[in-house]
Amino acid sequence: MNMNNSNKSFNLKAIRNINLIFIFLMFIIGFFVIRLFYIQVIRYSYYKQSALNDQLVQSKIPATRGLIEAHYGNQIIPIVLNQELFTVYADPSLVKNVNNMADKLVGVLGGSKSKIVTLANTKNTRYVVLAKKISQSQSDKILGFHIPGLGTIGQDYRVYPQGDLVSQTLGFVGDNSKGSYGLEQSMNSQLSGKPGYLKAITDINGVPLAASKNNINISPVNGKNIVLTIDVAIQKQLQEIIQNAAQSEKSPLISAVIMDPNSGAIKAIANYPTYNPSDYSSVTNQNIFTNAAVSNSIEPGSTLKVFTASAALNQGVIKQNTTYYDPSHWLIDGFNITNIEEDGGSGIKSVEDVLNLSLNTGATWMLMQMGGGQINLKAREAWYNYMTNHFRFGKITGLDQGYESGGIVPKPDIPFQSGDQQNLAYANTTFGQGLSVSALQMDSALSSVINGGTYYKPYLVDGTTDSQGNIAYNKPTIVNRDVVNAGTTKSIIALMQQVVFKHYQSGFTYLNFPSNYIVGGKTGTAQVPDPKGGYTDNIFNGTYIGFVGGNKPQYAIAIFVTTPTVSGYAGSYGAQPIFGNIVHMLINESYVSPIGN
Amino acid sequence: MTYSSSLSVNRQSYTKRNQNAVSFRSREKVLGPVSNTIILVVLACLLGLLYLTQVVKTQSYGNKVFALQQQQSQLQNQHQNLEVSSAQLQSLDRVQNSPVSKSLASVTPSTTINN
Repeated sequence: MNMNNSNKSFNLKAIRNINLIFIFLMFIIGFFVIRLFYIQVIRYSYYKQSALNDQLVQSKIPATRGLIEAHYGNQIIPIVLNQELFTVYADPSLVKNVNNMADKLVGVLGGSKSKIVTLANTKNTRYVVLAKKISQSQSDKILGFHIPGLGTIGQDYRVYPQGDLVSQTLGFVGDNSKGSYGLEQSMNSQLSGKPGYLKAITDINGVPLAASKNNINISPVNGKNIVLTIDVAIQKQLQEIIQNAAQSEKSPLISAVIMDPNSGAIKAIANYPTYNPSDYSSVTNQNIFTNAAVSNSIEPGSTLKVFTASAALNQGVIKQNTTYYDPSHWLIDGFNITNIEEDGGSGIKSVEDVLNLSLNTGATWMLMQMGGGQINLKAREAWYNYMTNHFRFGKITGLDQGYESGGIVPKPDIPFQSGDQQNLAYANTTFGQGLSVSALQMDSALSSVINGGTYYKPYLVDGTTDSQGNIAYNKPTIVNRDVVNAGTTKSIIALMQQVVFKHYQSGFTYLNFPSNYIVGGKTGTAQVPDPKGGYTDNIFNGTYIGFVGGNKPQYAIAIFVTTPTVSGYAGSYGAQPIFGNIVHMLINESYVSPIGN
Repeated sequence: MTYSSSLSVNRQSYTKRNQNAVSFRSREKVLGPVSNTIILVVLACLLGLLYLTQVVKTQSYGNKVFALQQQQSQLQNQHQNLEVSSAQLQSLDRVQNSPVSKSLASVTPSTTINN
């Protein structure tokens, strides 16, 4: 009986213990169930996002920027390439031994240890840049140190193997991967391409999981490679010529353009001073970034007489052999228009004399002929029409360059400034004062006059290359076929050849060119506007326009020299020697086909 | 139906009079719920295994593709670097300043001026 009781008591105790354990287990299970419900249901969004943050990679895949190539004789060579270079960064909060890290970095990169130490000790930041533009091998060495908090990140940079060659025309690409100035800016969308996109769940090593159905991988469309019309060898020598001239003439700015007058293709375009686009950040004067040959408009002076003569000849109001009585001064709107002393005073003069002796009175006389013998509204409107619609002064050419200047041409019927005398203002424009043009505009207009009367839109991009290296060439764009007629072209070529020959005879011996080439030109010396009003008396700009060829002109050349320090006229002694050097270079190096070829 | 008659009916279908026979009535075997569950679980495991095999196989290809892409990227970088080096070695400045170029005799045409 006692035994039965003790068994019964044991069983009850055991059952109670089992129940307790069961309740405890149920409590534990309940806890987990509630906890899991909280995590998986209530905090679903938070934990999903947290997991995706670790596993999901979303990034833009940068497109490779297009290369820029140029002609080098019969070859096409790259002048702007891309190279992946690396930036060294550190997270100061993770770097434990700054001295040790600095020692190792100096061992790879050179430079100052103290600078690295200072940077690495920067407070309140988790990202400091220790070095930029290091090579792949240097980056590999640095990563090989396995220093916590030290890393490198790659980025494509533009590389310019030819240094400062054609730099202002190219522009540069900033750290934001956008083109600034020149072609890099004007053709940024074509050069930069379209970035791709990657969205993928990755494993612990960052490798996208192939089986994830939500992965997105859109490949980037790389930028177009472009080929310029520029000939590297001509460009290089042009830059050397104007650099030497700028130094010897102490000119703060020289611009020059060499163009194919029969297509508008620019063979060389240069300014001095210039800069190296791979080191653009060290440039302090931002004016150097602009392509002055395109963006800088000045009063061109007597080079404009070529266009005055072209307009008068083309209207038929004068002929190449016309003569007239030149009084050596004209009184217009109460002001005297005169010539320089060396021009010989009053007398019978010819159209040839107007260009040879650079007669302001002769150019004014041509304007008078456009008005039936006097300067009037008819003359002004006719001349305005030629300046703006035929020679396209006052309008941008549309070259692939930023900040192009269209220049200024006064209206024929509205004074440019109140108080201006219209007839005087228009007389001044015939010899290149009171209007402004760029070197590019002058060269484009000259090309149209000497090629038979077709105004081609000047262009720098010869074509684009596909991935196989095949070039799709652009065709020249004709803007106006009737700038002047063939007879005017013939007369102007002959008159400009005479100018060069007469200058050679008068002592500019370097203008002696082989007889199987045609070389023509015209100087210009322009007074510089005084900021206080009027013109300065002792500061001049020198300009020159000219051509060289064989059976026909093959290169049209425009040169602007700003305020050279020369003894003599800025056009004859500042710009003309540059023209001489350019023509000799082109002839000596067989860029010009002589007469008969 | 009485017990005897029901017995005789049952016997009737299997035996005949004076026939020596062994009752061999085949009993229909039916899987029970436990067996069904186990089989379903095993099948599910097999399917899961098959899926995992395929996923792992796909991922291994993904890893190979990724490795090849990395290699392609490295080779492209090397190619890019070589192109840059080649262009720099052929640059006009370098050629102009090379010892070979400097040792050449100058043949500047007499008609060219140095302004």
